[in-house]
Amino acid sequence: MVMKNKVNWNKKMKSVPGIAITLFFAFLFLFPLYIAVVTSFKTQMETANNVLALPKQLFWENYTEALRISKFGRAIWNSAYITILSVFFLVLFSAMGGYAIARNRNNRFLRILERVYLSSMMLPFQILMIPIYKIFKTLHLQNNLNGVVLVLIGTSLAYPTFLIAGFVKTVPRELEDAARIDGCGPYQLFFKIVFPLLSPIISTVTALQTMWIWNDFNTSLILLQKDSVRTLTVKQFYFFGQYAVDYNMAFAAAIISMIPILIFFCVAQRYLVAGISSGAVKG
Amino acid sequence: MKGKNSVQVFLSRSAKYIFVLPGLSLFIFAVVIPFFMGLNIAFTDWNGISPNYHYVGLKNFLSVFKDSRMTLPVKNSLKFALIGPVVNNALAIGLALMLNQKYKKLTSVAKLIFFMPVCFSSVLSAFIWNFIYKNVFSAVLGINSPLGSKFWVIPAIIVIGLWNGVGVGMMIYLSALKSVPEELYESAKMDGASSFKCFFHITIPMLTPAYTTCVTLSLTNYLREFATTLSATGGGPARASETISIYIFDNLYTYNKAGYGQALSLLFMIILIFISTGVSTFFRKMEVEL
Repeated sequence: MVMKNKVNWNKKMKSVPGIAITLFFAFLFLFPLYIAVVTSFKTQMETANNVLALPKQLFWENYTEALRISKFGRAIWNSAYITILSVFFLVLFSAMGGYAIARNRNNRFLRILERVYLSSMMLPFQILMIPIYKIFKTLHLQNNLNGVVLVLIGTSLAYPTFLIAGFVKTVPRELEDAARIDGCGPYQLFFKIVFPLLSPIISTVTALQTMWIWNDFNTSLILLQKDSVRTLTVKQFYFFGQYAVDYNMAFAAAIISMIPILIFFCVAQRYLVAGISSGAVKG
Repeated sequence: MKGKNSVQVFLSRSAKYIFVLPGLSLFIFAVVIPFFMGLNIAFTDWNGISPNYHYVGLKNFLSVFKDSRMTLPVKNSLKFALIGPVVNNALAIGLALMLNQKYKKLTSVAKLIFFMPVCFSSVLSAFIWNFIYKNVFSAVLGINSPLGSKFWVIPAIIVIGLWNGVGVGMMIYLSALKSVPEELYESAKMDGASSFKCFFHITIPMLTPAYTTCVTLSLTNYLREFATTLSATGGGPARASETISIYIFDNLYTYNKAGYGQALSLLFMIILIFISTGVSTFFRKMEVEL
């Protein structure tokens, strides 16, 4: 009995450093969020007196002020518009393309296309930045949200197409063959039978792309210069640069801007984790 | 009647092309055309604004090598590329090992805490950390913001990037750790191997496929460092954190030298592809040797 207790005790003692280090890092990672939340509820005086302390009372004026000045509401709407539209068509087009590529291995054109998609993933954005800017200038598409959607779909397409093509290869063909024998056309076949079978990869791709496109900075930065069309990230970029003086109000704005993506994170967290763990990462 | 039939036949025969068409046309619009336009722009003196430009031959490419403003961005990007991936992968592996412990409740919560900052934009992360560096560091530690120091600015930006992005590598390493068969450890322990030995002779080599992904990814990301730095410092102080990507961006928006910027980005792309294929081939070879 004594022996057994001792063994348990030893085991417990051994686990202490592991738990302690984990807790330490967890606090380290949460610290910036703590600072952000706390600062957003304090007056400037309170922050100046003690940056770390909790607010004496919740100073909501920071938030009303932030909503009035930052116009983040508009920016959140722009980001949501761009994200929803881009991700919807991105998923649809890459599922269609990935399916066609995976099921026609002996088609030369599609094989070359897959190669082209794959190598395009190595292109850094900087190389497309100046020409895309020029195209948009000539077409007068600058400050046009739909224009940005086109670019985001086009530049993001290769990766999800590649992921979906890889997944389609693991889906058995029997179901498709059976449907074909029953007289099902290729379009019906894809939308009624194949698309539902792709749901595991579709949910991963949707979750990852939503996160990446919501946080897109490069494309929106060069194409959206007018204040009314700016997406949240670009708006944040200019707003934080401008209002670095009133940090409390700026942090209230920061918290407001975090809410949509945090809600999304809570909902889609399972798919994000699954996607990233399997190595689905943007290069 | 016959006409309708032939349309149907055509539609079902060419279904595979019709499936790739919508995506492909946008890909051509946003990647292929800009890429070839870029090749063209690189040989001109286009300033980014006026509709007119002249062809200048190889002048832009040659001036890259004579550009004295170029030295600092190259140095800075190299600094990012040398420090960033090492710290990033070391921390990612460390966190993954921590999460691979057996306390289910604690580790599953901690996993989410480490992963959550991944969903924040780099602009937002830079803003929060800017405040921490400026106000918390001075109040608590009594030191000035490292973002204002020529020496510390790059490490300080790397820390922002770690908070914002280390969760990605951590997840990949964690799933690699989980896939190491338990029997390997058991039989090693039977042979009398210490846990120290097990770690270096089983865990570290078994992670090789994950290194391929994570090292290549972090290396190319740090070489291209742009958004976090632009929002944290704008390249300052005194250009001490200006990276190649920021310099290319400035050539378009600040210096009005789009043609030159494009030539620069072409060379930059070639180097990037060269480095990333090199590194990933190196790690793939190690995978084979296992």
